[in-house]
Amino acid sequence: MSQRQSYAVGTGLFIVLGFAALGYLATQTTSVANSSRGPSYTVEAHFANIGQLKERAPVKVAGVRIGQVQSIVLDPGKETADVKLAIDKRYDQIPDDSIATIFTSGLLGDQYVGVRYGTSKKTLADGGELALTRPAQQLEEMLGKFFGAGGVADNLGGSYVVKARFTNVGALSVGAPVKMAGVAIGSVQSINADPVKLDALVTLAIDKRYNQIPDDSAAAVFTSGLIGTQYVAIQPGGSPDALKNGDEMVLTQSAMQIEDLIGKFLVSGSSSGKPADGGKTDGGKH
Amino acid sequence: MSVASSENIVVRSLSQIGDCGLFLLRMLAAIPRSMRHYRETIRQLWFVGAMSLIIIMVCGLFVGMVLGLQLYDVLSIFGGTSATGTVVAIAIYRELGPVVTALLFAGRAGTSVTAEIGLMRATDQIAAMEMMAVDPIAYVAVPRFLAGVIAMPLLTCVFCALGIFGGHLVGVTWLGIDNGTFWSNMTATVEVVKDVVNGVIWKSMVFGIVVSLIAVFQGYTTPPTSEGVAYATTRTVVASSIAILALDFVLTAFLM
Repeated sequence: MSQRQSYAVGTGLFIVLGFAALGYLATQTTSVANSSRGPSYTVEAHFANIGQLKERAPVKVAGVRIGQVQSIVLDPGKETADVKLAIDKRYDQIPDDSIATIFTSGLLGDQYVGVRYGTSKKTLADGGELALTRPAQQLEEMLGKFFGAGGVADNLGGSYVVKARFTNVGALSVGAPVKMAGVAIGSVQSINADPVKLDALVTLAIDKRYNQIPDDSAAAVFTSGLIGTQYVAIQPGGSPDALKNGDEMVLTQSAMQIEDLIGKFLVSGSSSGKPADGGKTDGGKH
Repeated sequence: MSVASSENIVVRSLSQIGDCGLFLLRMLAAIPRSMRHYRETIRQLWFVGAMSLIIIMVCGLFVGMVLGLQLYDVLSIFGGTSATGTVVAIAIYRELGPVVTALLFAGRAGTSVTAEIGLMRATDQIAAMEMMAVDPIAYVAVPRFLAGVIAMPLLTCVFCALGIFGGHLVGVTWLGIDNGTFWSNMTATVEVVKDVVNGVIWKSMVFGIVVSLIAVFQGYTTPPTSEGVAYATTRTVVASSIAILALDFVLTAFLM
């Protein structure tokens, strides 16, 4: 009888353990864990752009989760998003001039609302509003700034137009930055094929501040990194005269095709006979 | 019940499947009668379930740990190591948890059930029960079948929990992924219905039924010789493994 009892107890323990594990899996490792626990109060924040923010995304202070996004709706009649944040009652000491920002965890991570404390003595109450907000940083904008596409904004101060002819512009696109010494000084305004000369006519809008570029400077189509976007690099020459509006740059270097480069690499890396042939056919394709 | 005498392997395996299905029906019909022997079911639950806990827990831990290690290695190529927890959880819930638990269960508990019943058959204990008007299906087969069906989902849950723990152990404690990132990425992606219910619960229930049925059936229809018992035990493992992996594919296709 006692043996039978020990079976029963052990089996009972086993069943309890199994269900405890199930409960743990279902509540602690799934999205259920993100639903709010305990009492919370609601705070509003208006953002110009919420990016990829989703409902139930975490709200963090100093990286610590203090609540979650309850709802996201468009403000009626305005081009802003009304985001309601459910914040745990425990954290009721948030100054009412705190700044809410939409951050991204990592480069590819999910977005969350980060709150940076202000200095006000007054604290947020239920139904309060975080008046100071910063919208989500769009990755494209950040990359644009990083790669110097901000030259577009510089053009507001006025720019002058310079032409350059290339036999091949590669994947250069309108709006691509024009850089000198790696600094963006303008952008590509237009790219057209010349019906007579059968090459590409590229017009570059260069910021007026940079009006001392020698007129024998060379323009080259470069690629940022191995697979990055292409841009026009200007290599200053030695002429005393500066480029003026409407001038044409004579010295140009066309885009390097990665296929050509690899072709050259293969040619130089092996014996002279056959590969040269292969290189020619390769070049002919492009 | 008899093994088909035909040499034709197709006919033989078809008749095996048919016998197996009929045996399942007989067991289902005997469930009300076997309720008198519920203590026997508990005893079997102890043998096939609770006694399998150690192997399930150790294996779950190691599967989670190796997943954490491998995924960290691959994801670091893309700078996405913070997704390690998510991928460990999804891989374990959807596939590895149910499948590995079922394979281990077939090896640990299925074989012993087959050997036990087969030996009962070989030593005429089952015939003796019939003589004493004790229904061997209700007293021997059904309790073991039910115990397997109940134990499998529970063992799978334990396996998954230990797997997550193992992934956490390697990812966070050893390789230094941020603890909060590990859990928040996991909770942001893993869903109750899609991953836990569809993966862990449904799959493990089906595997529990199939593995238990094969084990009990193979034992019950063992030729009453020592070779017969050995052969039946082997067949339990082989048939269970094939059935688990094939059904896993079918279930995944349906539950996706």
